[in-house]
Amino acid sequence: MKKTTKYLVLFLFTMLVTFVLAACSDSGDDTATNDNNSDSDNGETATEEKVKLTIGSWRTEDVAKYEKVIALFNETNPDIEVEFSPTKNTEYNTVLNTALQAGEGPDIFHLRPYAAGLKLADAGFVEPITDINGLDTFSEDYLAASKGADGEQYGVPLNISSTQFFYNKKIFADQGLEVPTTWDEFIEVNEKLLKADITPIAMGTKEGWLLSLSHGIVGAGVLDGNAFAEKLVTGETDFSDPAFVESIEAMNDLKKYFPANSEGLGMDDIRTIFAMEQAAMFPLGSWEIPVVSELNPDLDYGFFPMPSKTGNQSVTTWVDGSFAINAKSKNIDAAKTFLEFLTTKEFGELFVDEFKMISAIPGITSDDELLSELSKTVESSSTPYYWVINFVSGDPTTKTVLETELQGMYLGEVTPAEVAQRVQENAETSFEPFK
Amino acid sequence: MMTTVQTASKKKGRKIGKSWTIHLFPIPALIIYGLFVLYPILAALSYSFYSFNGFSRESFVGFDNFVTLFTTEPYGSMFVNAFKHNILYFALQMVAMNGLAFILAFIIYKKVKGAEFFKIAFFLPRLLSVIVVGFLWKLILNPNFGTLNMLLGKLGLEELQRAWLGDPNTALISIILVNCWFGLGFGVLIFLAGFQSIPGELIEAAKLDGAKGMTMLRKIYLPLMVPSIMIMTVLTFIQSFEAFELVYAMQGSMGEPYYSTDTLAVFFYRLAFGSSTSGSSDALGVGSALAAVLFLFILICTMIFLKFTNKKEVEM
Repeated sequence: MKKTTKYLVLFLFTMLVTFVLAACSDSGDDTATNDNNSDSDNGETATEEKVKLTIGSWRTEDVAKYEKVIALFNETNPDIEVEFSPTKNTEYNTVLNTALQAGEGPDIFHLRPYAAGLKLADAGFVEPITDINGLDTFSEDYLAASKGADGEQYGVPLNISSTQFFYNKKIFADQGLEVPTTWDEFIEVNEKLLKADITPIAMGTKEGWLLSLSHGIVGAGVLDGNAFAEKLVTGETDFSDPAFVESIEAMNDLKKYFPANSEGLGMDDIRTIFAMEQAAMFPLGSWEIPVVSELNPDLDYGFFPMPSKTGNQSVTTWVDGSFAINAKSKNIDAAKTFLEFLTTKEFGELFVDEFKMISAIPGITSDDELLSELSKTVESSSTPYYWVINFVSGDPTTKTVLETELQGMYLGEVTPAEVAQRVQENAETSFEPFK
Repeated sequence: MMTTVQTASKKKGRKIGKSWTIHLFPIPALIIYGLFVLYPILAALSYSFYSFNGFSRESFVGFDNFVTLFTTEPYGSMFVNAFKHNILYFALQMVAMNGLAFILAFIIYKKVKGAEFFKIAFFLPRLLSVIVVGFLWKLILNPNFGTLNMLLGKLGLEELQRAWLGDPNTALISIILVNCWFGLGFGVLIFLAGFQSIPGELIEAAKLDGAKGMTMLRKIYLPLMVPSIMIMTVLTFIQSFEAFELVYAMQGSMGEPYYSTDTLAVFFYRLAFGSSTSGSSDALGVGSALAAVLFLFILICTMIFLKFTNKKEVEM
């Protein structure tokens, strides 16, 4: 009896240790186990019938929408089974990087745009897809978001984010205001609203990212968007350009049109102010449309592209994400078929209707009037958002320096000229053409 | 004490074959401790000697990361800036939180009416998650819809209304005071336990000798409370230098506005994991160096504090 107790204890203890160890090794990498599953599936059925693809993404909120996308894909490709398994936005980069380094990870994954995503391509984790059909539907600018340093295409661009001023149609009508088409008219609108005791612009400076975002919008008005952006990106001009300093000064001058205590207002605050009709204009991105409409379904609002000093108007755009193929995937051919599907008009239409975002595929219209109009403007007159496209390297990144220094400017700690100087100093260390 | 040792050794003599199994039982705990406490600390220490590209470790660089941390801009000035904020965090918490907690504990100890109620009331915030506390106070301190500014307006103190968390002059102090509100109850409990452990006869004797009021406090209570005060000082010190959650919950990983609420732990987070708005960062090595410096600093200071406490206790 005593002997059996001893062995029982020993047995239980061994169980415990194994359990602990097993639990540890399991929790290490969820995607790894997922991938193993799909691998073994393939092993059984590899040669014919169903192939299984997994898609990794940071859009956990879109599971139901992607099910519709997959259903549409299966109408034409019944042999390929697709599973959408997203990871929480803030943990996505870490989870994906770890999995890729271990030679695992999903077959298809959501690639961050520009430098952040291309880092993975340069490291050889992404399969080049230059040879797939349908890439020619996209404009060169959008393809550039996932084009590697070697000239190969690594991702299919998914959606476009655009930033512009939204405005409250009712307030504009009540005050007899027209949508501004020049910079001077824009300032005039602000002045008239201020005189009528209405906050002109719902904007806060507490969160840095709102500041680089609004420089993307306002800067395009002062700098004549495309012309300056082109020269900047090629290194022909830099941030010490007096025109750039002027754009920072213009942002500083707009402070008088912001709500009271704007230095303490964040994203949620300014959205509420605009949605509750306490301010007339709201400089923000296309992704805010569903959120604002949900906050106040009765709000009658539209958008206007930023009017510039030279008289043209533009919205500021960038590619927000692409889909790419894992270089270690066992099903590269099936994955390419799926990516080709992502370049079709059918997918584009479903995407705009379901996701309420602007598709990277041109010529897509939607039942949503505001979104349709915005999509058209994005195609006809847009300027690149160079802070995200070109200035997200360095530590801190040039974009972060702009944000922090603009915040300092609004607090009265630094002058617009100093903002430009510090941004330039940082860019010189990290932006190739300036080195 | 002696008897248990004796019985244990007696048993050992009798059943020497069985006792070895006992030593197996701490192993699960040790494995967990080693895997989740020791290994991460050692790994972080070793990371500080390597250069990184994204999350992949590259080459051994010796003390380069430490040199970078202290001499390269903007790291150097950010470190100093954050370090100063940590010191303010500690100083203000010692005065506002521990000072108040001491007084409140004394009042409760003196058995005011409703002492039990107050004991619970002071401790209640502690039961909330830090993120909830941060969110709650963000709403209260909101410049345009917040209750604090509204209250000030109702009281006719409009000139005091401000963007509490948006103004660099008030942002850090606001956060520290929120932390004091959050941690007050814990201090009260520790101090109250300290007061209650003072032997009643000692106080009676002092009273018979004619001590009262301030003399009583200075000569009797304070010296006997030194152990509790020391414990609270050490805990507050560690907590102040590791301050992260509230700043992150209320101001994000940039220590906004304009780095005025930056602390060393927030700075570390930004270095190692990148800011929430600017994508990934390549400074995992420098971040680990900062973590190592912070760890050693807290360790050394705590050891000095504890040595001091032990000496004090011996003197008494």
